[in-house]
Amino acid sequence: MTAFQLTVNGRPRTVEADPDTPLLWILRDTLGLTGTKFGCGQGVCGACTVHLDGKAVKSCQTSLKEASGHAIITVEGLSKDGSHPVQKAWLAEDVAQCGYCQPGMLMSAAALLSHTPHPTDGDIDEAFADHVCRCGTYPRIRKAVKRAAGGVK
Amino acid sequence: MTDRRDFLKITGATGAGLLIGLHLEAKPKPGETAKPEFRPNAFLAIRPDGTVRITVPKTEMGQGVRTALPMAVAEELDLDWSRIEVVTAQPGPDFKSMQTGGSTSVSTTWTPLRKAGATVRLMLVAAAADQWKLDAKLCRTEKGFVLGPGGKKLSYGALAEAAAKQPVPKDVPLKKASEYKLLGRRMPRFDGPAIVTGKAVFGLDVRRPGQRFATVLRCEVPGGQPKTWDEAKAKGVTGVKAVVKVPTGLAVVADTTWAAIKGREALATSTTWDEGAGQGFNSASLEAKSRAALTGPADEARSQGDVEKVLSAAARVLEAEYSFPYQAHATVEPMNATVQIQADGAELWTGTQSPNKAQSTAATALGLKAEQVKVNVALIGGGFGRRLGTDFSTEAAQVAKALGGGPVQVVWDREDDFRHDLHHPATLHRMRAGLDANGGLTAWAHRIAGPSILRSWLGGQKSPGQASAEASGALDIPYAIPALKIAYAEVEAPTPMGWWRGIEIVPNVFARECFFDEVAHAAGKDPLQLRLDLLGNQELVKFGRDEADLRRLKKVLQVAADKAGWGRALPAGRGLGLACHAYDGRSYAAQVAEVSVEKGKLRVHKITCAVDCGFVVNPLGLEAQVEGGITFGLSALFTQITWDKGRTVQTGFLDFPLVRQGDMPVIETHIMPSTEAPSGMGEPPVPLPIPAVLNAVFAATGKRIRRVPLVADSLA
Repeated sequence: MTAFQLTVNGRPRTVEADPDTPLLWILRDTLGLTGTKFGCGQGVCGACTVHLDGKAVKSCQTSLKEASGHAIITVEGLSKDGSHPVQKAWLAEDVAQCGYCQPGMLMSAAALLSHTPHPTDGDIDEAFADHVCRCGTYPRIRKAVKRAAGGVK
Repeated sequence: MTDRRDFLKITGATGAGLLIGLHLEAKPKPGETAKPEFRPNAFLAIRPDGTVRITVPKTEMGQGVRTALPMAVAEELDLDWSRIEVVTAQPGPDFKSMQTGGSTSVSTTWTPLRKAGATVRLMLVAAAADQWKLDAKLCRTEKGFVLGPGGKKLSYGALAEAAAKQPVPKDVPLKKASEYKLLGRRMPRFDGPAIVTGKAVFGLDVRRPGQRFATVLRCEVPGGQPKTWDEAKAKGVTGVKAVVKVPTGLAVVADTTWAAIKGREALATSTTWDEGAGQGFNSASLEAKSRAALTGPADEARSQGDVEKVLSAAARVLEAEYSFPYQAHATVEPMNATVQIQADGAELWTGTQSPNKAQSTAATALGLKAEQVKVNVALIGGGFGRRLGTDFSTEAAQVAKALGGGPVQVVWDREDDFRHDLHHPATLHRMRAGLDANGGLTAWAHRIAGPSILRSWLGGQKSPGQASAEASGALDIPYAIPALKIAYAEVEAPTPMGWWRGIEIVPNVFARECFFDEVAHAAGKDPLQLRLDLLGNQELVKFGRDEADLRRLKKVLQVAADKAGWGRALPAGRGLGLACHAYDGRSYAAQVAEVSVEKGKLRVHKITCAVDCGFVVNPLGLEAQVEGGITFGLSALFTQITWDKGRTVQTGFLDFPLVRQGDMPVIETHIMPSTEAPSGMGEPPVPLPIPAVLNAVFAATGKRIRRVPLVADSLA
């Protein structure tokens, strides 16, 4: 067991765990941030997506050691009050069905818009290529990303 | 179909406000055994502060019941939507049948929920009229208040206690559709804000003080058992606290999920297995057995006229074999459940479509009475029929028992979820049709061969309703054909099976609607026109237990075709295909797919869908169900589960290529306006994308695909 320093949603945290522990389980089991979801543990469903220094990463494929010293944002930290443009757009388009995959979708949407403020359909397809939504919210995700793009400076 | 008896039970409790429990009982008619007894319950509480808690007697799994069902109550009660709280019911005396499946949540609760709201509204009005000493007829209600002449106004909260003492009115009138303020509006889902902020609690998000996490090392072959193992291997992993034997395998219990996963990995290296009776099972031999069962004895599901005689007299006989594979539910949230044993009972937290069964099966595992197990129904990260099963919650109860308490959360990983799903089994279909000299369709025979979901569900028992259950979607072929024979031949398989989104109809409607397309082309007729001709002037037609209004099916077919531009000229390599179905005689859907095939690669550009499911409570939610149903159905064109040496070959999303963002067609939904009672739309769209797309592939390329999944080289 080693102690690692993390910054999660702006708050410094010290975590003692095996350095290879996936960040996903540190967030969910150690820090109690259950908004980040477990879907596959293989980096192919996107449910566990968080931001590491502003980039979308799969937290199930990011070890504690790799995350250490970086700024991590989870869905709980996307905004203080649900006011991030993607959160607002998600509600306006009524995207979620069961909602389980949506935190990961929101994190990828936010990361996409931060580097590509006006994404094309191709950009959207690429940004969500590693995400699965079994309920079939894809058409509304596309609309919501475009809506948020309109509101993102 | 059912004999329903409503009654109200009212209790007034100071401080707790007015509690209204509305019970609905239904008993199957004599001889009707196919559907379980139906007893949903609604429950609502008005607090002194005017907030209203609505208890939803169905499980939310993305289909929107926590929005649509409260809308029905709120409409009749004239509630302020911003002041409601929605909770999911717990199984018990008030909620004896909460099972959520079969696209029935709205249709079965809509009348009792509206009655509950309307009844309470009258009692609140009566209480206000008493207080104001005037005729109740002079009062009206609006957004949580009773309003009287001269600006009189009292909140429901202020009136709740007095209202509870009012007699319960009988035969309460319900609003006319023209009076609706909420019903029929595009309401965003109630849980949206919690979902987008990460606050929504799914089963896997349950956290109890002192909770431990467990994984179970199960035999890769369903039903197999560990022979020898060395628990020290698991205990060598930091954080692992215990290894316990449970009926499904070896549970590794740890401080964190990750330690439980690593501990199980270590334990697996030391474990030997008795793989049991299933170890020889493989897809190729099942297919051979199913093919053999396409001729010979079978159970008849529907028969009309003498098919063999008409076929032998036909000018032309068409015959084809269709194939549909095993499928997985592949919910994004893997199975999980959390159990804590207490001094006087136990508590279970899980995402379940069968809360009452989860309660009784956990109780049996724990040696308790059902009422001693409190079940908290979490939000479900995808159900699709998988969570009708209670194997995973029962297993969690067994782990808690072996530990002597808990709380413990049993977590399945992705591979567990694929290997130990209650899969939807593979079927082969022998299709035969007879054409007369003028190209008229005179005979239709559809033989289905494959394992029985219903038998697996009933613990190995054959039910008298087995053939009609496994043939649903085939036996209710809506076209007027003089001679028909629909039969089911059961083939044994050792794997646990379950229903899927669409129950059993997806493979059957695929074979039916594709083969019908073949018949149309062989007869030199337009596939739309032949469908319209053979729906003809039929009105109410009875198929087994269901009665369908085929005028409504004809209408959605015509609308989908018109909106998609059926018959227009398309460039080479591009085509339109269609399919339609009357789901359980209650909901009608038709889809037209537009596809292109370029260098052997399929692209689905657009699916145009028309639906009629009666009055639509929430069009925004309904459109989501159509988009979701189409996405689910389209994925099934590409996915399959195959078996080798008794185990699934596929173990995760990498080898189960679900449709993703970049694969999606444009989906255009047309809802038929209707004043008929609402039915359901969770499943009706699901069986249509495969036949619509494959019929479009034929139109585009002349290639007839009869085998799902569509593999890369089949269009080359």
